Amino acid sequence: MDLENTKAQMRKGILEYCILSVLSKNSCYASDIIKELKEAKVIVVEGTLYPLLTRQKNSGLLSYRWEESQQGPPRKYYELTTEGKEYLADLDISWEELVESVNLIRTR
Amino acid sequence: MMDKTIKINLGGTLFHIDEEAYKILRRYLQDIDNRLKNTPGGAETIEDIESRIAEIFQSQSGTAGVISSENVEAMISIIGKPEDFDTDSVSGSTIENKAYYHSEGGKKMYRNPDDSIISGVCGGIGIYLNIDSVWIRLMFILFTFFGGIGFLVYVALWIALPSATSDSRKREMYGRDDYATVFRKHGTGYSQTASSQGNIVPGNGVSNIGNAFNEVFRAVGKVCFIIVRIFLIATGVIFVLTGFFILVSFVMVFFFKYPDYFSTHSLGVNLFYLPDFLNYIVSPAIAPWILVLTFIVILLPLLAIIYWGVKMIFWFKARDGIFSLIGLVIWVMCIAALSILLFNEGISFSETAKLVSEEVVGKAPKDLYILSKNKITGLKYDKEITFDEENYNVFFSNDNNGLFISTSLIIDKSDDNTLMINVRKRSAGRSRSDGARKAESLVYHYKVSGDTLFLDEYFSVPQGNKWSADNVTVNLYIPYGTVIHFDKTTENMFRRQHYYNDEWNWRWDGEDKEMIRSDSADNNWVMTEEGLRRQYDKAEK
Repeated sequence: MDLENTKAQMRKGILEYCILSVLSKNSCYASDIIKELKEAKVIVVEGTLYPLLTRQKNSGLLSYRWEESQQGPPRKYYELTTEGKEYLADLDISWEELVESVNLIRTR
Repeated sequence: MMDKTIKINLGGTLFHIDEEAYKILRRYLQDIDNRLKNTPGGAETIEDIESRIAEIFQSQSGTAGVISSENVEAMISIIGKPEDFDTDSVSGSTIENKAYYHSEGGKKMYRNPDDSIISGVCGGIGIYLNIDSVWIRLMFILFTFFGGIGFLVYVALWIALPSATSDSRKREMYGRDDYATVFRKHGTGYSQTASSQGNIVPGNGVSNIGNAFNEVFRAVGKVCFIIVRIFLIATGVIFVLTGFFILVSFVMVFFFKYPDYFSTHSLGVNLFYLPDFLNYIVSPAIAPWILVLTFIVILLPLLAIIYWGVKMIFWFKARDGIFSLIGLVIWVMCIAALSILLFNEGISFSETAKLVSEEVVGKAPKDLYILSKNKITGLKYDKEITFDEENYNVFFSNDNNGLFISTSLIIDKSDDNTLMINVRKRSAGRSRSDGARKAESLVYHYKVSGDTLFLDEYFSVPQGNKWSADNVTVNLYIPYGTVIHFDKTTENMFRRQHYYNDEWNWRWDGEDKEMIRSDSADNNWVMTEEGLRRQYDKAEK
């Protein structure tokens, strides 16, 4: 087994959950999401995020609006839809359960 | 080194970028494109990434506003390599990496765009077999002298093998381990793929002889390519012109009523206005449908031919597969609909009914004069369709939607001393009785008055009736010894009949002489035991 690979797999599993969580606080520009995720060391490169954002938007969890920026082209600001919020609530619960399960196994 | 800058438009912003950096960027964007374009929402993601790249470039503000290779590489390190994007939970890079580490070789054959002279087939085989591609090229050329086998195999492989344009395909082409060595040799960082413009031949270096060979092959390849292009352009021009002219002819038939400037007889083709023609043979309700469907059935292949021609001439690639498919489906559907309609109409021609009316005129006069009363030349018609072989002429009159058709005349010897006229009317119909009804409605007149027989040159289909393969044959039975004087007016009735050695023949026997001459002096015939014989004036006197 390869350690890096396993780590990457674990990170990937929670990446979508992390994006939704970042957006649950306030609507964000893609770079803001990246910044937070990078700080939390969930992702390494920005390119990872864009396909996920598109996918979540296409499945109705996110919506976006265009906003002018002081420099450069207008930016996409993403926010959660009602469906996205419900989806996140479900994920919150299963995350809690997951943490509990893992802890249970580890402390046994 | 910075010798040239290129202007690019990225995410709606204009950038100046130096040439080396441009190469790397273009390669990078191409890789992203290859990676994402087939995923759902791929195009949108690519757009998002591009505008993010633009933003990064703006924040970098390179030397004198020109983006350098360093800027591009810094940007790539922020966005990341496409291999590291997790596009899909199944085919993500981590999964691929796993395969990369654990699978044994697992090469696939591709065409190699990095080592290509015509299409990269040889380069691809070389990598697959781990042989310098020069030897593969020699093999192909050698085998081309054996009845062209080499050439055929080459073309087949060209069609069959995909080109290793994307990174993942390259990885498969080289096999995992080789790919790693090839690209590790070129160092890390994104510039590795960008600098792979030259030949990448794994394992062994290319010898000098090999290089010389490769140069020769490259030149030969260019010449071959140019020859193929010239051939394609010529074919394309032929396609376009053919398609165009056929299209114009059909538009004439469909949309222009009897084009005067388009002399049909000079062309030797009997062009007619199809909409009018259809009204005579099919029921008026479906005539427009047949017209539209026929037009589509003809139009689509012609458009396809013209399009292919243009494509061959200008050598462009287009995403036309879906249009071709839609076109094909529409075409097949139109053909099916047309077949059903025509079959349904065809049923009305399925049964032929014959109606015979026979009149015994009585004792024949010694001299019988035959005159034609209602002549076609006296007819007001708009269009004529002639079937020369069958001696069948149809005349269309638009005034009363009338149809006038020439009759055939047959003269036989009577068994007794009576003159007998037998008129056979034939029509096709949906059923035998339908045909009989139509046959009965055909209008044909003749009249016997003393020693003169008046015959109509044509019969008419009554107004409102369609054409249904109508045919009228007039059979005269004339007693032995009767002298027949054909009037000049009957000449058209025998237009296709000839005589040979003074014998009346129904078939053309090679000697093209008119039955009835314009000078009426010689138009006397006498009924003998053997049939009609020409009788000359002096014999009569």
